[in-house]
Amino acid sequence: MTTAGALTRPVVLGWSGAGRDRTLASTAMFAAAAVLLGTGVLPVMDGELVLAGLVTAFVAAVVARLVPHHSPAVGAALLVPATQLGAVALLGAGTGSAASLFLLLGPVFTLVTLPGRHGVLAAVLGTAVVLLVPQLLTAGLYPPAELPGALLLGPLVVGLGGLAVNETGRRVGRQAAAISHLEAERATLLAQVQTRADELDLATRMLAARAQTMTSVIDAVTEQSIIGTDRDGVIRVWNPGAEKMLGLPRPDVVRKRSIVEFHLPEELRSEAEATGSAPGLAALVHAAQEHGSDVRDWTYVAADGTQRTVAVAVTPRSDDGGLHAGWNFVGTDVTEARATERMKDQFVSLISHELRTPLSSILGYLELVMDDPDQPLTEEQRKYLATVERNAHRLQRLVGDLLFTAQVEAGRFTLQPEDVDLAAVVRATEETIRVAAAANDVTVRVDVPADALVVSGDPVRLGQACDNLASNAVKFTPAGGRVTLALRAGWRTPDGVVVSGEHPGAEPVAQLSVSDTGVGIPTGEQGKLFTRFFRASTAQRNAVPGVGLGLSITKAITTAHGGTLELDSAEGAGTTFTLTLPCPTA
Amino acid sequence: MLEAVPARVLVADDEDDIRDLVCLAIERAGGAVIGSVSDGTAALAAARADVPDLAVLDVSMRGATGLEVCSALRSEPGTAGIRILLLSAGASLDDVARGLAAGADAYLAKPFGVAGLVHQVRALMTGLPA
Repeated sequence: MTTAGALTRPVVLGWSGAGRDRTLASTAMFAAAAVLLGTGVLPVMDGELVLAGLVTAFVAAVVARLVPHHSPAVGAALLVPATQLGAVALLGAGTGSAASLFLLLGPVFTLVTLPGRHGVLAAVLGTAVVLLVPQLLTAGLYPPAELPGALLLGPLVVGLGGLAVNETGRRVGRQAAAISHLEAERATLLAQVQTRADELDLATRMLAARAQTMTSVIDAVTEQSIIGTDRDGVIRVWNPGAEKMLGLPRPDVVRKRSIVEFHLPEELRSEAEATGSAPGLAALVHAAQEHGSDVRDWTYVAADGTQRTVAVAVTPRSDDGGLHAGWNFVGTDVTEARATERMKDQFVSLISHELRTPLSSILGYLELVMDDPDQPLTEEQRKYLATVERNAHRLQRLVGDLLFTAQVEAGRFTLQPEDVDLAAVVRATEETIRVAAAANDVTVRVDVPADALVVSGDPVRLGQACDNLASNAVKFTPAGGRVTLALRAGWRTPDGVVVSGEHPGAEPVAQLSVSDTGVGIPTGEQGKLFTRFFRASTAQRNAVPGVGLGLSITKAITTAHGGTLELDSAEGAGTTFTLTLPCPTA
Repeated sequence: MLEAVPARVLVADDEDDIRDLVCLAIERAGGAVIGSVSDGTAALAAARADVPDLAVLDVSMRGATGLEVCSALRSEPGTAGIRILLLSAGASLDDVARGLAAGADAYLAKPFGVAGLVHQVRALMTGLPA
């Protein structure tokens, strides 16, 4: 992402670098001067001074080679041009020619182009020295009368010119630095733009891929209808599953039809009446609007008029901005499944009814025989017939349980609520289980309040629930054990805990608990205990009779009364079922 | 019940064994079975021909159901005064409600005990005008 590696570092042109190159020009000048002197083009007045001057220039050239280019020391940068100035002064003195002053240009240029202004000062001083030295050593370059003027003008020209060159150089340097800085920034920005472009490209490709995935997933679904509509119910998405279920191809539907056209009008009307919503789309999405989603059976009407029962999940859909954009309807055809369920219910009902009729005969005639005062039975006959009667009653209970379970399953289970005294229910249950408990050598303890504890409920069903729990407790408790039926009034706090005293915000409840000292229920099986036909492994191991309907029935009864049924059990230590029912607020 | 004249009872049930049992129970209760039929149509005809004091009708019968017979008897002046006891294998509350709505005086769900039936028949006969 970052382009730091590609960044060009800003380069400050000039002043600190290329020192050798500049002194090289001066060195060449001195070499040219030496040639001119040697060939006699330039006059030689004092051979020793000229030689000293050339030697000095040579030394300067050597030093320029030795001193590092970018020596940070100001002195080092000054050293070469200063030496060269010395050489110029000696050559001036040795030749007595003002022409030698042209040699000043090299070192002076080197000095004034040094960073900072000290180079200019050095050039000024150097120039003055160069003018003065020949005057001190020989006859000088100028007649004595011109010397003061030359001494003033020379350094002045060098100083002002040097300052101008120095300033220009610095400005150019600053501009160059600014340009290179801008170039670097531009490079950075370009790199960022490129990165953004790459990211955008990637995002676009990902979105396209995702859209492609979504479309291919929706198109691959052929057994579920996936229908998307806008807020007004006009269809926008129509997958092959919907084509198959409702018999219309996508082009005939999308943007042309409303989801409502595929629903049974009576069904939408009765739903609208039941929920108080407007008929049409509102009835369809009412529950999803309220709860975020809704799954239920609807009747879809296909293009050819056939009706299918479809379990439809309705969910609202939002656009990118989170605004409500429409609705999704994902449907599974459950026509056959529902028909099978209905058949199962009918079968169970039919079988139960058909079993009841012969049972009626068996029990009725048994009763006639056993209660006939004209023909009393022998003790043995009475014992045998009592066994027949007991088993007929067992069969009768099983048939009742099956029928009741079928009614619960079909949602046809209704309560006939009235005021029920739970204390009386518990005492009746004790009566019911007393014989079985005594036969198994199980002690039954009843702990109910002296006063009535009244709830609103169906007395027959509540009695059945209590009987189920108590008879289970007796069945699962080995000889010598104990079953306790306890009833107490309490208060359920908003967080679900039941306390004995009145509590702010708590609802009055009645709590019925049935505890035993029996075999217990393994922890892993407790979750499945209220499932129809489930039997705990402890039940099977101990050969306790039953088909696994009692607890599911008890649970259904409890739930229908707005109550809860909880379980606390440890294998080998016993089980406690706690049934909590709301009490009418006085 | 020591009525001078035993109550006259018509019994209709398509299950022969149950019908016989009901007849026996009625006799134990002190009643006189004047007719015993196995379908709804026959029950209506019998009740019209010889009006009983009490009719014990099974709900699920061939011909006409017990509920239909019950409604028909109630709608005719000659038979409107008959006491009617319905017997049914359907123990649901809806069935009871429908039975009573059809004009029955009492409703007994199968399987019923003989003692319960005797008690119910006696109770219905007690309310009869002497």
